Amino acid sequence: MAGAIMPVTEIIDELRQIVGAEHVLDSEVDRFGYSYDSSFLPLVPAHKPDLVVRPRTTEEVSKVMAFANLHGIPVTPRGAASGRTGGSVPLKGGISLSMDRFTDILEIDESNMMVIVEPGVRTMDLHDACTARGLFYPPDPGSWKYCTIGGNVAENAGGMRAVKYGVTRDYVMGLKVVLADGSILNTGGKAIKNVTGYDLTSLFTGSEGTLGIVTQVLLRLIPLPKARGVIRIMFASMEDGCATVQRMLQEDIVPSVAEIMDEVSLQAVAKQSKMELPPNAKACVLIEVDGEDAASLESQSRRIEAVSSACGSLNFRVAQSKAEADELWAVRRGMSSAVASLAPNRLGEDISVPRGAFPEMVRRVRRIAEKYSLSIPVFGHAGDGNLHPSVLCDMNNPEEAERVHHAVDEIFEAALELGGTLTGEHGIGITKRPYLAKALGESGVSTLKAIKMSLDPKGILNPGKIW
Amino acid sequence: MVTGGTSLPSHGLLTEASNLVAGCDRCGNCLTVCPLFKVHDVERAGARGKNAIARALAEGGLEPLPEVRAAVDFCLLCRACVDSCPNHIPTDEAMVRVRQFFTDAAGGPSAKYTVLGGVLRSRMLVGLGAFALGIMRRLRLAGLLPTSLVAREFPRNAFLEALAGPAALGDPAPANTTTLKPGARVAYFQGCGMKLMFPDASQSTLKLLGKISPVMTKANFCCGLPHLAHGMGDTFLELAKANIALFEDADIVVTDCASCGGALKHLASQFEADAEWRDRATAFSSKVMDLTEYLVRAGYRSAEKQDTTFTFHDPCHLVRGQGIRSQPRQLLKAAGTFLEMKESDTCCGGAGTFHMDHPDAAKQILERKMENIERSGAAVVVTACPGCLVQLTRAAEASGKFKAMHISQVI
Repeated sequence: MAGAIMPVTEIIDELRQIVGAEHVLDSEVDRFGYSYDSSFLPLVPAHKPDLVVRPRTTEEVSKVMAFANLHGIPVTPRGAASGRTGGSVPLKGGISLSMDRFTDILEIDESNMMVIVEPGVRTMDLHDACTARGLFYPPDPGSWKYCTIGGNVAENAGGMRAVKYGVTRDYVMGLKVVLADGSILNTGGKAIKNVTGYDLTSLFTGSEGTLGIVTQVLLRLIPLPKARGVIRIMFASMEDGCATVQRMLQEDIVPSVAEIMDEVSLQAVAKQSKMELPPNAKACVLIEVDGEDAASLESQSRRIEAVSSACGSLNFRVAQSKAEADELWAVRRGMSSAVASLAPNRLGEDISVPRGAFPEMVRRVRRIAEKYSLSIPVFGHAGDGNLHPSVLCDMNNPEEAERVHHAVDEIFEAALELGGTLTGEHGIGITKRPYLAKALGESGVSTLKAIKMSLDPKGILNPGKIW
Repeated sequence: MVTGGTSLPSHGLLTEASNLVAGCDRCGNCLTVCPLFKVHDVERAGARGKNAIARALAEGGLEPLPEVRAAVDFCLLCRACVDSCPNHIPTDEAMVRVRQFFTDAAGGPSAKYTVLGGVLRSRMLVGLGAFALGIMRRLRLAGLLPTSLVAREFPRNAFLEALAGPAALGDPAPANTTTLKPGARVAYFQGCGMKLMFPDASQSTLKLLGKISPVMTKANFCCGLPHLAHGMGDTFLELAKANIALFEDADIVVTDCASCGGALKHLASQFEADAEWRDRATAFSSKVMDLTEYLVRAGYRSAEKQDTTFTFHDPCHLVRGQGIRSQPRQLLKAAGTFLEMKESDTCCGGAGTFHMDHPDAAKQILERKMENIERSGAAVVVTACPGCLVQLTRAAEASGKFKAMHISQVI
């Protein structure tokens, strides 16, 4: 085992004593099962961990970390492995620390509107549990049905509702974290104003499993909006769609969701879901509005219709029932996977630019696609400037792979030029490492490294990630 | 492609399986619906893990070890994952190919499957099985043992050993668009499961059919599903041809077994290389209807509403294999009070030999099913497949709060 001098069998025995025999997996098929995530990294050759360890309590995690630290064994935390950048891939072997047995919602504190949750709870399950009490946990990454809160915190996941409600970080009030040496740290708390010491909660949020293992999360909630409506608008061009979203926001119509998708993305999902598209539709904007009551939705919907029609919309459809709303939503939720199925490989990017630069970014992606003769469908969160260009390709074709690398480089360059950044919600992980220095500068990277060194001097936590 | 050092040379079946799942994005959506992942939440148990295994076997990332075979066998083939997958990746079809690969590599199916496949292949032997069961019933019996136990004796186990469940459902069969012309010749296809284990229900089916029009009965052959599932593809084709010829004079072929119906509706895809038989199989398949599908089309309604409460368990082969969901409910609503249960279309854990090979997982799945049935408050759980009915009878006995019946017995 990487970094370890002890024989593997003794390591297994020690770990089995900590978490129970059945919760340490070492068979070939299990090691393979924990070698991948949902990124475009190839399955083979696999980055198999030497062992999979599945603890259930903070104390067990603490003991595992103390043991791993002592022996210099790499530890890569893993939630649902739904990440897009290789964050949970055990690049250097060692232990895959699977947090999927931490599945309890420990407390829903209605008077403070906060919830204490374990990292293995699925995001949608948390959302539903809160909704049942009239409370709302807004962050809803596209994967919310199967991703888990621990991963959301580690990646500072966003989602569609960010335009109005922000991202995971905006809701994390405190964390229980096991550090690299096994010590247990509690950050933050239920007090809303809290400037006692550094803001460690924010530091660990989005740290991609490189600084500590989160075993409990304290999240703030807001009251559940009483009414919601879904609108789908078709356009003859992405420009018209982008312009509509821009104008809405400038006119202070703040939708809870404003998603845009281009023609290729639309066709991909239409193919999978047998959806019918209006002729000439080259772009679609999916909007969710929420408010006090039906009248509030109606007035927002009228204003959006006026704006979109001024921008040249082709078709404006308001969902008339829950079933119809679900159907419209399904289009967007299935988008990422549908686009991925169009080609042998899909390099899904996650750039984020200032909102005003969104239309220009879309244009630049299109120019880059033309320049390198590639298909790069685009969909994303028009309301918050977070864009997902998907480079469709066959990476087994070396000539094409070369063009793809150039195209990806230029997409990142364009995003940085427009004042944006490499990733809005997926994290750097493995796949965006080469571009980090360009985005953060030398001192940016060295500051990250200094923080890492002080918390994990042996470098055992999720090695090989971010830089 | 990266090739593993000592792995077998790349195999056509593995390549096929790998191609089938090539569009898997590894997102994990399937893990929320996979009945096995719910009771055994390690990666290899879920559909995503199985897709990855299929690809890694083909690309040399995994050796075809016994533990890999065990992981591939640990699948209900229930298609819950396929239904919920944004890309509808056919994990079940890939698993059938990988299983076939392992079967071929081991030099054929295991002995027990060969023997039992032979039993079901012969009409006479199936007849003897039913006959033997009848004798056992008469001898032992006169009330010494509850009737439901009889079906748990040899013939049922023998049958189950050979039946590997919803193998290769394929996409849901296209809805049967046959119009019921007056004077249409209707034939009953009696599946081995109905014949061996639930002869009373089979009789009820015949009575129901007789209320609508005269019905032809035939000494039909096994539908061949067990053979297909256990790598006895040649026997499957032989049986299919015999059945196709046997039912040539019928306009409609009705079956009360969801597994048979699913298999019979998908025959054509097994004759890809044989144009003549493919056409004959297509014509045959278009005549096949599930009992509930036929009754609703024929406008059947129960004469009177019974004062009891029903819930319905959707067999994998009916709901996902044939796309039939509303018809049984429509019939039950006319026959009594219908109460929907949660997760009605989740596999009951029977899945042919699965519950024998993996009793613990099957038991946990069935316990969840039992809870859902109990929570519905229904007095009777109804289904339309003998494989499911075996499991549900077991749940009914364990629970004591409800009975399990075939749909032909309650409408």
